[in-house]
Amino acid sequence: MQLLRDILDKQVVDREQVKIGKVDGLVAELRQAKPPRVIAVELGSIALGRRLGAVPGRWAARLVARLSGKRQTRPHRIAWNKVRDIGVDIEFDIDVRQTKIFAWQDWLREHVIGRIPGA
Amino acid sequence: MKKLLEISLGVVTSVGGFLEVGSIATAAQAGALFGFQLVWAVVLGTICIIFLVEMAGRFAAVSHHTIADGIRERFGFNAFIWPLLAALFVNFLVLSAEIGGVAIAAELATGIGFQWWALPVAFFVWLLLWKGTFGLIEKGMSMLGLVTLCFVVAAVMLHPDWKEVATGAVPNLPQHDTAKYWFMAVSILGASISPYLFMFYSSGGIEDQWDKTYIGANRAIAGLGMSFGGGISVGVLIVAALVLGAHGVTQVDDYNQLPLMLIPIFGFWGFVLFVVSLAIACFGAALEVALQQAYLVAQGFGWTWGEDLKPRDDPGFSLVYTLSVFLAAVPIALGLDPLKLTIFSMALTAASLPLTVVPFLFLLNDDHYVGEHCNGVISNAAVIFIIALGFVLALVTIPLQIFGGA
Repeated sequence: MQLLRDILDKQVVDREQVKIGKVDGLVAELRQAKPPRVIAVELGSIALGRRLGAVPGRWAARLVARLSGKRQTRPHRIAWNKVRDIGVDIEFDIDVRQTKIFAWQDWLREHVIGRIPGA
Repeated sequence: MKKLLEISLGVVTSVGGFLEVGSIATAAQAGALFGFQLVWAVVLGTICIIFLVEMAGRFAAVSHHTIADGIRERFGFNAFIWPLLAALFVNFLVLSAEIGGVAIAAELATGIGFQWWALPVAFFVWLLLWKGTFGLIEKGMSMLGLVTLCFVVAAVMLHPDWKEVATGAVPNLPQHDTAKYWFMAVSILGASISPYLFMFYSSGGIEDQWDKTYIGANRAIAGLGMSFGGGISVGVLIVAALVLGAHGVTQVDDYNQLPLMLIPIFGFWGFVLFVVSLAIACFGAALEVALQQAYLVAQGFGWTWGEDLKPRDDPGFSLVYTLSVFLAAVPIALGLDPLKLTIFSMALTAASLPLTVVPFLFLLNDDHYVGEHCNGVISNAAVIFIIALGFVLALVTIPLQIFGGA
């Protein structure tokens, strides 16, 4: 398996097969005298911003901080040991409802989309 | 039997997707000014889109990825962002032009200025996306699209000199208005080879849950559907050449001239048929382009998507088409001439082709995705030809816009 070819930018689904994002970044741990090891994948606009460069990464972090009202913001992370299956999509053994990954979609549902008749 | 039904439905759908404000307007302008001389541009554009649509469908059926998914995954986000931005921008212009097309039809029918119709039209497009299912949009709207066959009937009833039409199907050099001739050729190619068409088609394959058993059906749908679509465009061009051109209307720069096309053949009903055809073709295309904007963003970022879901189950996806539709209505509501916008956006579509077509060469030859169903020599030759054509178009569009567009 090649990390960049087979993992990065692949579709991520949770255990209910809900599409929750793409693998926007990889987190590796450097170990002494041993090869580095992937410990997590990152999702979301901050991770994506960092892909484009340091400056867009900072912009994305600032934007997310402003929108969520928090001082510090980090990309969403899913631990690599939760991975269950790598096929067309990468399935993680998590429930997206118990993470903050869809917080913005939930906000959107509650405040905008859900208020329009017929939603 | 079931497959046969599916193929015929698919063909009808593709015809509906092919014919829109761009193909009608560019074919009408070309016919009026150059007679049958530009038939080759329609034929060439149709052959190119047949190949691309077939590949997009095969890619979806075998790999269970849409084209947008494939580009993001294969080339990474930093490369994906360029076709993403280009397609979003071009689609925005095309969506605006389609809304303008429906608005013009409404103006022709009622006498109330087109800019007043932009927002109501956008609202109806949005409502259908909000409440409708993929099947309803795909099959229902395109069934109605069969009314555009009236152009083919009219073309045959006019008894054109078919030998002359066939001569026009071979690329030839202009005798007058050289810059305008090439600009028209570029616009026709842009109207036929639309990225939204093949990207939408691959999303449709996923929505309809295609698998490897659809490879044959996909080939038939792409080939027949796009050929019929191209045939109707040629019909528009022939009618424009014989009615508008022959009556001295060579410059179609005002959309009020367009409905005259069918009157000599069908009388008053010709006017009605034109207005209904324009409205339905553009409305159907507006639905598809707006959906494609949402598909593109949702697939690009990995959100939940699907037209059969309720809006509350994919709020991000629903928000994208909602914003797209209403934003695209703004230029028309402000009074931007839909005909000028159409011609401009078709030329720009042609210029954006390399960004969306180059990935085909890699995706359709990558056995990670398509396995044994890789491109053959002919398909690869076609993609390379389209890429080369795309680069030429990208280079010449802007200069031609300046010298031939005005």
